[in-house]
Amino acid sequence: MATEYDVVVIGAGNAGLTAAATLARKGARVIMLERHNIPGGCATSFCRGRFEFEVSLHQLSGMGTPEFPGPLQGLLQGLGVRDKLEFVRMEDLYRVMVPGRLDLVLPADKGGVIGALQGRFPAERENIGRFFDLVYRFFSEVISAFYMKDPEVTPEKYPLYFKYAFRDAQSVLDAHFTDPLLKLAVGIYWCYMGLPPRLLAFGDLAAILFAYIELKPCHIKGGSQTLSNAIVDSFIGNGGHVRFNCGAEKIIVRDGAVRGVVTEHGDQITTRYVLSNASPITTFLELIGRDDCPAVALDELKGASYSTSFFTIFAGLRCEPEAVGIAEATNFICAQTDFDRDFALTRTLDCDESAFIMSCYDVSDPGFSPPGACQCAIVAMKYAEPWLQVPPERYAAEKYRCAEAILRRVEAHFPGFREQIEEIEIATPLTHLRYLAQPGGSPYGFEQHVKDSSFFRSPKPPLKGLYCAGAWYGQPGYQPTLASGVAAARAILREMKAQEVKP
Amino acid sequence: MKQDFVRKIEGYDEIVRERAICRKYGLDYSTEGGKIRSFINRLHPPRLMLRVSDVIDETPSSKTLRLVSPEGYLPPFQAGKYISIIADIGPIRTSRPYSISSPPNQRGYYDITIRNRENGFVAPHLLNRIKAGNRIEASAPSGGFCFNPLIHDRASVFIAGGSGITPFMSMIREVVECGIDRTICLFYGNRSDADVIFHDELLRISQRFRQVTYVPVIETPSPGYTGARGYITGDIIKGVVGQTGGRTYYLCGPPAMYDFCLPELEGLSIPRHKIRREVYGPPPDITRSPGWPSHIGRDAAFTVGIRGRGEIGARAGESLLNSLERSGIVVPALCRSGECSMCRVKLISGRVFQPAGVLLRKSDRQFGYIHSCAAYPLEDLEIMF
Ligand SMILES: Cc1cc2nc3c(=O)[nH]c(=O)nc-3n(C[C@H](O)[C@H](O)[C@H](O)COP(=O)(O)OP(=O)(O)OC[C@H]3O[C@@H](n4cnc5c(N)ncnc54)[C@H](O)[C@@H]3O)c2cc1C
Ligand code: FES
Repeated sequence: MATEYDVVVIGAGNAGLTAAATLARKGARVIMLERHNIPGGCATSFCRGRFEFEVSLHQLSGMGTPEFPGPLQGLLQGLGVRDKLEFVRMEDLYRVMVPGRLDLVLPADKGGVIGALQGRFPAERENIGRFFDLVYRFFSEVISAFYMKDPEVTPEKYPLYFKYAFRDAQSVLDAHFTDPLLKLAVGIYWCYMGLPPRLLAFGDLAAILFAYIELKPCHIKGGSQTLSNAIVDSFIGNGGHVRFNCGAEKIIVRDGAVRGVVTEHGDQITTRYVLSNASPITTFLELIGRDDCPAVALDELKGASYSTSFFTIFAGLRCEPEAVGIAEATNFICAQTDFDRDFALTRTLDCDESAFIMSCYDVSDPGFSPPGACQCAIVAMKYAEPWLQVPPERYAAEKYRCAEAILRRVEAHFPGFREQIEEIEIATPLTHLRYLAQPGGSPYGFEQHVKDSSFFRSPKPPLKGLYCAGAWYGQPGYQPTLASGVAAARAILREMKAQEVKP
Repeated sequence: MKQDFVRKIEGYDEIVRERAICRKYGLDYSTEGGKIRSFINRLHPPRLMLRVSDVIDETPSSKTLRLVSPEGYLPPFQAGKYISIIADIGPIRTSRPYSISSPPNQRGYYDITIRNRENGFVAPHLLNRIKAGNRIEASAPSGGFCFNPLIHDRASVFIAGGSGITPFMSMIREVVECGIDRTICLFYGNRSDADVIFHDELLRISQRFRQVTYVPVIETPSPGYTGARGYITGDIIKGVVGQTGGRTYYLCGPPAMYDFCLPELEGLSIPRHKIRREVYGPPPDITRSPGWPSHIGRDAAFTVGIRGRGEIGARAGESLLNSLERSGIVVPALCRSGECSMCRVKLISGRVFQPAGVLLRKSDRQFGYIHSCAAYPLEDLEIMF
């Protein structure tokens, strides 16, 4: 094994993978280190019996349609993996349910969403039209200003953007709608961001609605592990080296610049560039260490807080989805309409009342599970904190108790579900903590408050040669993290070029 | 602040004030380093450094090694989990999974119970060389052969063969010691009555606790034996449990036992999802597995190139993982049964035999990854890891 590389990529999550592949395609000598035995981080799967469970991908955004290709198309093309993957489009955004009060399916197109909402909430016909009009006009401003790279972004040209970008989503929902069920049906995607509309920027909610409606949600055939494997394949094909079961132990810093990396096995790698896909806590405090870590890096973190983690039930059913009444790939199931109450519940262990998402991939991709079977991922947002307090001896029992509560609620909506379960696995925030080594067991990184967004963070790497990418350093989710890896790789390539031309 | 336009967005000033407050009063993350690792290490340490506190003779061919932690801390586990024991034998570093036979409510030690194997490599080493006081390196408890109250019946039927009794021993001890509301009917097959591990304890438990039934089944019993004989058949099972529905069936033992008992359970119309089986390592002779290409003999020799690290020799009848270890190359491994993907390597060229039941991810198949513990060379190979 060579001991000198242009770049060492730490972590093979979405961002680490796209960064490594981008760098290798441009001819850089790159080694990628991954603690786990398989690439992907969250973008992975695991096998139980005849099922291969998808760990984290619910609805992929950004692929678009043949007529209107989304940004992810180009990104995957650029990595040389687009043709190795097959995508399955989901017809609907989601089904949202509150027992006895609401049961509504929103299709993944503008007219369809508006029509479905107006049909269910005729009294708010106009409000619904006004709201989506705002979302669309807001987002077309975003496209002209940023995607089209307008050199002059001013309030005169983009009035809605300047008015609404930082506004909280709840106040916009309140200004448009009266029925709490309607607000719920429109705002439920907050779950994908980890913050309730009160704390979420309207810009973020608008972006997610616009992206899923216009670019369509989809799923990858074979699951997210296929994406991860395909990117590794491209990386290796371009001469990249990858080490699994091999975490980074230390980033060597001298005179304020990156000089190398030491692996957990004690091997030393010389390099001038490190791209870290690990959390800032790991990167700055464990790999670099307090003494070499510039104070500004830690200052930047102040006030940020770990985002929510998840309590997930992976259930393999020995029947087709229809047999238990599952007709939608994505189902949001709520016990009440108050987002803030739901958010408060994410800080508790109990699952009797928590909102949860149930995804059944087989609905849109019938070949996903073995013939005659299907799988569901049932996810409730839960912070790690209460799980960290559970005494070791109680852990397993607590896990089963919470799962039991959710399964009881699933059974109420999908009678016969329970009886059909053949394999079941439960992941708690601690499971994420373990597999991802993320503080707070948080696949979303830090909470997505505007104040911690890239608008307010310094874009300069705190150390010469250190670059970071992934959910902790930007936005969570597949599309944003895949893109952040490419962006970080480009920044490294630019810097390498600049160094080259220097005498 | 990157760009000027941001300042003009409504609410900007307020956010800047919020940031200033955070800078002043926000959480100082400088002490957060190392926290995750130390927390994870209490639950799933990458390695356990253990000491053998006692060696307990069980039968002429089996012993229990009682393992304690010199620091006094052992992670919690669920009954049915195994640990992978690392063994340094001569120049070779290898590992073997062993189910924990002590109950999880007892956290002062882990017992592993080892039976000698014909032509064994690690088992004889552990049985003959390891003495009280020796150090042993192991993985944290792993595996999924555990009672799951969400989908398993409270009435269980355990079917054990030989050393396959170990996870059941942990479960049975836990159930009786903790007063758990479950009933257990154990069928325990052995070649001779002298081989039966834990016989006295199982007898005592079944006499004292009505929730546990114990049925030894002996293939070739000594004169005077009055219990069930032969193999564990559907008739024997039905004869004892009566009603076969409403129960979950658990199997643990050598592959030959599965080959015999699974059709027997099928004969009793036990649905497949009511049957759970522990993986139990590779079969003694892979070339007898269904699908093995008959023209390739056990000793057929091949060359395996490892990209960037040279070449080794390998035999068809031995797993790639074994051949690698034999050549002094350490590949991380845990279950050695094709299930956990720890030993995953990329196959660049050449063909391997992979027995049925290997839990390979679909995309691993697509991109040429194999689990080296459950892959046997059928020609010269090139691999990468
Ligand atoms: C991102 C991700 C990746 C995954 N990758 C894999 C994979 O590669 N291979 C695979 O087989 N499965 C994988 N899974 C699935 C995962 O294995 C299961 O969900 C997991 O096995 C849950 O069972 P567990 O109790 O052993 O694990 P955990 O939930 O991690 O807990 C493990 C053990 O730790 C102890 N414990 C936990 N918390 C406490 C506490 N507070 N106090 C004391 N003790 C505690 C318990 O004794 C328990 O047995 C993955 C899941 C996720 C979310
Ligand atoms: S060691 Fe578990 S699959 Fe090979």
